[in-house]
Amino acid sequence: MPPKNKGGSTKAKEAEVKQQSSPQQPPKEPQVIREIEWQQYWATNPVHQIVEEKGFNHLNPADRRTYLNLELLRSTAHIDDLSKKSQREFWKQLSDANAPLRSALRPRDDQWGRDRNGRDIGDYTPEEYAAYTRKKSRISELDLESTFFRRDRERAHWKTKNPLTGEIYAITEDDIKSERERRQELTALRSELYGAKMSTYANDPEWDDVVPIPQEEPEGALAAIAYADDYAEADTVYVAAMAYLRAVMVLKEHSPRCLQLTEHIIEMNPAHYTVWLYRFEIVRALNMPIPDEIEWLNDVSLEHLKNYQIWHHRQQLLDHYYPNMQSDENAVAALAASELEFLADILEKDTKNYHVWSYRQYLVRKLGLWDLEDEMRTIELLISQDVRNNSAWSHRFFLVFDNPHQSTPGSHSTEYDSKVPADVIDREISYGQEKIELAPQNQSPWNYLRGVLVKGGKPLGTVREFAETFITALGEGEDKEEVRSSHALDLLADIYKEAGEKDKADLCLRRLGEKWDRIREAYWEYRRRMLEE
Amino acid sequence: MLYTVSAVQILALVDAFDDLETRGTGKLKVAQFMAGLQDREKGTFAGDEWGEEDTRFLYGALNALSLLDMLHLVDVDKAVKHVAACANFDGGYGVNPGDESHSGQIFTCVAALTIAKRQDLIDVDRLAGWLAERQLPNGGLNGRPEKDEDVCYSWWVLSSLSMIGRTHWIDREKLIGFILRCQDVENGGISDRPGNMVDVWHTLFGLTGLSLLGYPGLDDIDPVYCLPKSTIERVMQGIA
Repeated sequence: MPPKNKGGSTKAKEAEVKQQSSPQQPPKEPQVIREIEWQQYWATNPVHQIVEEKGFNHLNPADRRTYLNLELLRSTAHIDDLSKKSQREFWKQLSDANAPLRSALRPRDDQWGRDRNGRDIGDYTPEEYAAYTRKKSRISELDLESTFFRRDRERAHWKTKNPLTGEIYAITEDDIKSERERRQELTALRSELYGAKMSTYANDPEWDDVVPIPQEEPEGALAAIAYADDYAEADTVYVAAMAYLRAVMVLKEHSPRCLQLTEHIIEMNPAHYTVWLYRFEIVRALNMPIPDEIEWLNDVSLEHLKNYQIWHHRQQLLDHYYPNMQSDENAVAALAASELEFLADILEKDTKNYHVWSYRQYLVRKLGLWDLEDEMRTIELLISQDVRNNSAWSHRFFLVFDNPHQSTPGSHSTEYDSKVPADVIDREISYGQEKIELAPQNQSPWNYLRGVLVKGGKPLGTVREFAETFITALGEGEDKEEVRSSHALDLLADIYKEAGEKDKADLCLRRLGEKWDRIREAYWEYRRRMLEE
Repeated sequence: MLYTVSAVQILALVDAFDDLETRGTGKLKVAQFMAGLQDREKGTFAGDEWGEEDTRFLYGALNALSLLDMLHLVDVDKAVKHVAACANFDGGYGVNPGDESHSGQIFTCVAALTIAKRQDLIDVDRLAGWLAERQLPNGGLNGRPEKDEDVCYSWWVLSSLSMIGRTHWIDREKLIGFILRCQDVENGGISDRPGNMVDVWHTLFGLTGLSLLGYPGLDDIDPVYCLPKSTIERVMQGIA
């Protein structure tokens, strides 16, 4: 604000001259608010400018007096100490000097502060600064509205009456919705202005009653986790969500909002053990429809193929669900169908996924799918697609030899079971042989064949002729000898041993070590020694 | 369970069982926690109070409890019976009875039976034959038939073979060569297979594998506990 100037004062004239002269020596047009503030300061403190620029001694006596009077003016307490007469003189002098009584304060270097990027706000352009202050006022405004929301909600909680209308305060869904939007705007503004971060949950009025429990490292922990000060955005969200999870778990709250919280955390970290277990508790407590939960789980499973927790969760769901629907045959059939369909989807992505096969066995046991034709057909299809899929072979063995309708309960995989029907044994021997023909150097069906013979209590010699078809002219010279499968040689060694034909057995083992499976030479040598015992 | 087992192993490694008594909750309490996770009917162990069961947990419990000399708190016979039921027609062991044979699971089952002094239940030659089949022409070992090789199986397969005294059934030089090819020769560490990113997991199992193969300059490793032999000797002496 330019000083009032009624003429008379030398100082004021000088100031005027200075202002008039400015067009000639190109005035620096203020670019940023720091310059504007300084300009205002100089403009309203002309005497001070001389002192600061040239020194006190350059003032004429009248200005010196004005300068001192102005300094005195800045501490009114000292003026009160003056006698009435001196006070009158003081004001007269000031009036005569025509000095601006309302003057800007001298800017301090640190008065503007820095924004979240470390930039000095003093370096803002007027436009930037205006936008900045506008946002600041918006924050205050939103903050205040938010306070009102909380106050009204508190009133609603205690069923307080509005003294004017006589009605009980109420909070509507719309109020909550507006509050949520308000907080989102607040968070965005605070983040923009100050870099402050608020979690999704702190933003949500529905979570206001929960006090998050942050992760605490025990003092002097041996292996404290060195969290970086500047978390990546995703980490911040996760850490905040976890703090809310801890809080609701302590309270043992089992509500829809907690279910959503677990979903959010599982999305970010599906390997988190505890959150799955908590989720199951919620599902149970809320008596949720299990098929819905399974459907949700299907999507998560397809995204995280190698995760242990999803499969345990699935088992828990089934264990919980099955007893209540067991008696409804159609429901069980529908469940089996949808589960098998899902397993087919997931096996398409990874045909040897251990978790999936393990769960498949659990499912067969649980729902009693032993004699389900589809199940056997699916396995045959998988084996025909990839005859080397050992997981599928293993499952077939399980389906046939653990089937309670045609086996002894608890019979080990490695022992004879008299309860298995002879036609089943014959069928499986043929099946194994048929698949061996497709890929003779594939160990899975060879192992399978041996397993079937043991289960059926049959001598290995049962398949002697079959195995011999893979070998031609053994030991009759490199050019004549042909071995289509080292596994056949391996089995033949045992078959000959069983039949007491030691020399033939020894030849098989020797040729394995010498030529057909040299990497395991020591093993074959050991087997040769065992022939002698 | 898994964290508790790791904690006991680390305490064993740094000879700090006494501190567990003076500064911690005491080994009895730790052992009681693990013992509480056994299903007394089936003999299995759960991973925690919510009950996911797996031979990994059973092995972990026997591992830590034997180090603490607290095996008497659990029903070892029932546990043994469960492990025996996990044996498969092909000679291997799976996660649960009937599950496909898997090298990692074989390690847990064989080690559990070794701790329980019940190796007599293993069909040694059949199992070792299956394990020896895990070596591929490039020297590396896989975890299941027709799967790819991976350095971590150097440990699961080799330690199992070592426990039943059959490490010589695989080609030592070829496996050493494979593990060494998995090294990052510039920055150190070992990866799952040549040219991949190294990590602590595969570095550990590469090194312990080399140790079992008698590679020069490495301390002897105990195949049951995956801890230095000297550590196990010290702990077991304290028990005896």
